[in-house]
Amino acid sequence: MNPIELPDASEAPARRGLKLWLSRLEGPQTMGRGPAFWAVVVLAVLAALSYPAFANDYVVGNAAYFFVWTFMAMGLGVVWGYCGALSFGQTAFFGLAGYAYGVITINIGSAFGATWLALLLAVALGGVFALLIGYFMFYGRIKGVFVGIVTLSVTLVLETFMAQTAGPQWRIGDARLNGFNGMSGMPPLTVPWPGGDIMLYSGTALYYVLLGMVVLCYLGLRMLLNAPFGNVLVAIRENPERAEMLGYDIRLYQMLAFGLGGALAGLSGALYTAWGQYITPSSMGLTAAALPIVWVAVGGRRDITATLLGCLLVIAGFQSLTIYGSQYALVVMGALLVFTVLVTPDGLVFTAINRMGRLFKRVRR
Amino acid sequence: MTRILDVAKLNKSFGGVTVARDIDFVLEAGAMHCLIGPNGAGKSSFFRLLLGEHAPDSGTIGFAGDDITALRSFQRIRKGISVKFQVPGIFKALSVRQNLEIAFQYHLHGASLGDTVRRVLEFTNLTGEIHTPAGVLSHGQQQWLEIGMAVGVEPKLLLLDEPTAGMSPDETRKTGEMLHELNARGITILAVEHDMAFVQQIARSVTVLHMGAIFAEGDIDEITAHPGVQEIYLGAADE
Amino acid sequence: MEFFPASFSIFYQFGNAFAFLVISCAGLAVIFGMMGIINLAHGEFIMCGAYVTASTARAGLPLPLAIACGALTAALVGMVLERTVIRHLYHRPLDSIIATWGISLIATQAVLILLGPSMSGTGTPLGSTLVGERSYSIYRLVLFASAVGLLGGLYLLFYRTRFGVIARATIQRPEMARALGVDTRRVYGLTFGLGAGLAGLAGGLYAPTMTMVPTMGATFIVESFVTVVVGGADIFLGAAPAAAILAVIKAALTAWYGQLFGQIGLLVAVIVVIRVMPGGLSAFIKRWQR
Repeated sequence: MNPIELPDASEAPARRGLKLWLSRLEGPQTMGRGPAFWAVVVLAVLAALSYPAFANDYVVGNAAYFFVWTFMAMGLGVVWGYCGALSFGQTAFFGLAGYAYGVITINIGSAFGATWLALLLAVALGGVFALLIGYFMFYGRIKGVFVGIVTLSVTLVLETFMAQTAGPQWRIGDARLNGFNGMSGMPPLTVPWPGGDIMLYSGTALYYVLLGMVVLCYLGLRMLLNAPFGNVLVAIRENPERAEMLGYDIRLYQMLAFGLGGALAGLSGALYTAWGQYITPSSMGLTAAALPIVWVAVGGRRDITATLLGCLLVIAGFQSLTIYGSQYALVVMGALLVFTVLVTPDGLVFTAINRMGRLFKRVRR
Repeated sequence: MTRILDVAKLNKSFGGVTVARDIDFVLEAGAMHCLIGPNGAGKSSFFRLLLGEHAPDSGTIGFAGDDITALRSFQRIRKGISVKFQVPGIFKALSVRQNLEIAFQYHLHGASLGDTVRRVLEFTNLTGEIHTPAGVLSHGQQQWLEIGMAVGVEPKLLLLDEPTAGMSPDETRKTGEMLHELNARGITILAVEHDMAFVQQIARSVTVLHMGAIFAEGDIDEITAHPGVQEIYLGAADE
Repeated sequence: MEFFPASFSIFYQFGNAFAFLVISCAGLAVIFGMMGIINLAHGEFIMCGAYVTASTARAGLPLPLAIACGALTAALVGMVLERTVIRHLYHRPLDSIIATWGISLIATQAVLILLGPSMSGTGTPLGSTLVGERSYSIYRLVLFASAVGLLGGLYLLFYRTRFGVIARATIQRPEMARALGVDTRRVYGLTFGLGAGLAGLAGGLYAPTMTMVPTMGATFIVESFVTVVVGGADIFLGAAPAAAILAVIKAALTAWYGQLFGQIGLLVAVIVVIRVMPGGLSAFIKRWQR
């Protein structure tokens, strides 16, 4: 047995600011610690950085497409895995932010970094909308299955509403909403550059930008989840009454976590629109609403690393299956879900990593 | 002596059942007091009213001079009430250390957090279990962990709902000693209990509840000798 | 008499919506209300019943018999599913959502692969009748009568038969039931089968009015879900009055603003009800009764 180490005691004065936050990269809420783990992470990032050297622009752009979805998956991981609320509503924020990006950039163009402002505003919109819905639900003491139902209803209302905006009267400024046809014609993310703005269409440049975002988001979430905030989220998941009786306003924390999840889903939505210059109401439909749940369930919702890896694996797998026969792809998806729930309820990736970890006899804590 | 709890004319009914009937209850700071009564007397309901889980139909609850009747549960906790429920309210999937950190972290940070965690571990005899998932602990240890979580931030008032339920006689006695130590440090103790031996061990005064109303109050010897009290216990057993 | 055709039209609209909600949600209500399981494969049981009904009807079976076949097939499939998958999910409501959604995916795709994107259905029987200046489908009136009959039949089943009493007891207090010698696993299996069979019945009843596509379950699932959630755990105190109220809302909104707003109205109703009456209508009514 380890002797009692409560490192805070003697090192407390030094752990402030940056050092404190860096120390939170590891902690009880996230898998993986120690030099071996971080070596693997660095290797993975290096591999990702060098990938474009071995593949053509189209394939790399496709990989960028995978990255787009990871934020929504990580957001759902926070809301569902860490806070315990199964939300079917992530695609509502996805769609809202996607349309917001489209509307803003169609109206103000892409010069002088306007697209980045649009991205920021779209994410903020997603986050604010999520805070509102979160307020409505958690301050109304809605919990469990009903969170899923309310969020699904919100998503479907948005989809149904957007689907009937086909007429020309449905426009915000210059941007026509276009109903079920979808909105197109917005510019991609554009980097202002003397001599010619760099338009980040699906390709290597966009790949690098997205890779950077994914890494930052992943590390940032690790730090947040191991901070006291993350502790409270997990406590609420495990025993909400007890958390309240320890003096925490659980409604506030749930709402904040939900807002964060919404902002991340919004990031995915805005990036998706920027990636493909296209957004449609079906991105908020029944199937779309359930997809993030598939990724997170199969990957593992209890841990942000498992969620991220699971999301990438499932999307990549789904895409390769679709090439061979999209009908079979969905059957495999369904079977994967059933298998996961029955055999590895903590998630395929999570369970696999755990087993491997035990194989290497990692010393915990 | 200051009053830590000042309950006046508290009333609460659910549907047709009255769980609190015009309750006037005063608790002085530093007391060790027990709430007893037959099953269904309304003891747990009274706790829930104190904690804010239910809102009373009428009446007021005063805590350390403040009127807390309108406050939400978490606000009351922050004012200095702490609670230990009957069923161990711990975070079973998390380690003992995490349980304690969560309990104290909004009050304390860094060095003092670590210190307090260490002190509570020693106090509850759980020093060796610091990394154990709380769900793996024995029942008695879980109860102690919860008491530890409840007192680490030195609350003014500690409410306990049947703290020795399911404990062995040894564990029960140890719990009583713990409560005495806490009381010596200035924490007022109010416990709901069925185990009369435990009540004898820890309480200086006792309130008897019956059918939602206060039936009798006084020090422990008076109450145990009170014929009316014996009757309501027997009467309840007959039903 | 100008009044009669107008009120008949209103009654017809209402009856149409009400019948749809009751018939399509009965199976879901039984499974959710009695077992606490969210069955997202509900739409696929409906599809199963519809496909079997359409095939047997075109093979020559009279429609009522074909519908019975559809319901029975769905019930059998349901019991098999219960034994293999659902059984493990009884106290895991969130996991049951995911697992049944996976089953729904498998079922929809399998039917698409094996039977193609659509199958010929049967026509709507019984023709139409004229009331005032409008013609109304007689079959839809039959559906309304079926919905009422269904509620009556379920009431008799759950409150007047031995199975019903045992089922309700088992679901409320499984340990007690087991202590009294009830084979609780069989009861769960039969109840799930009943829920699936009711879904199949819905599919069979509506088969003559719809085109047979593998995704036809989706038409039913959202609205039946809404009805069950608004209604709460009890079919009679909850789902039935919920269906009535939602039918009014939907019919009114559809008449004034069109299909899409009818749908939106329903979804908004769900959100409001969950917020205001967390246990659904049935919990509200029960509390009010005291």
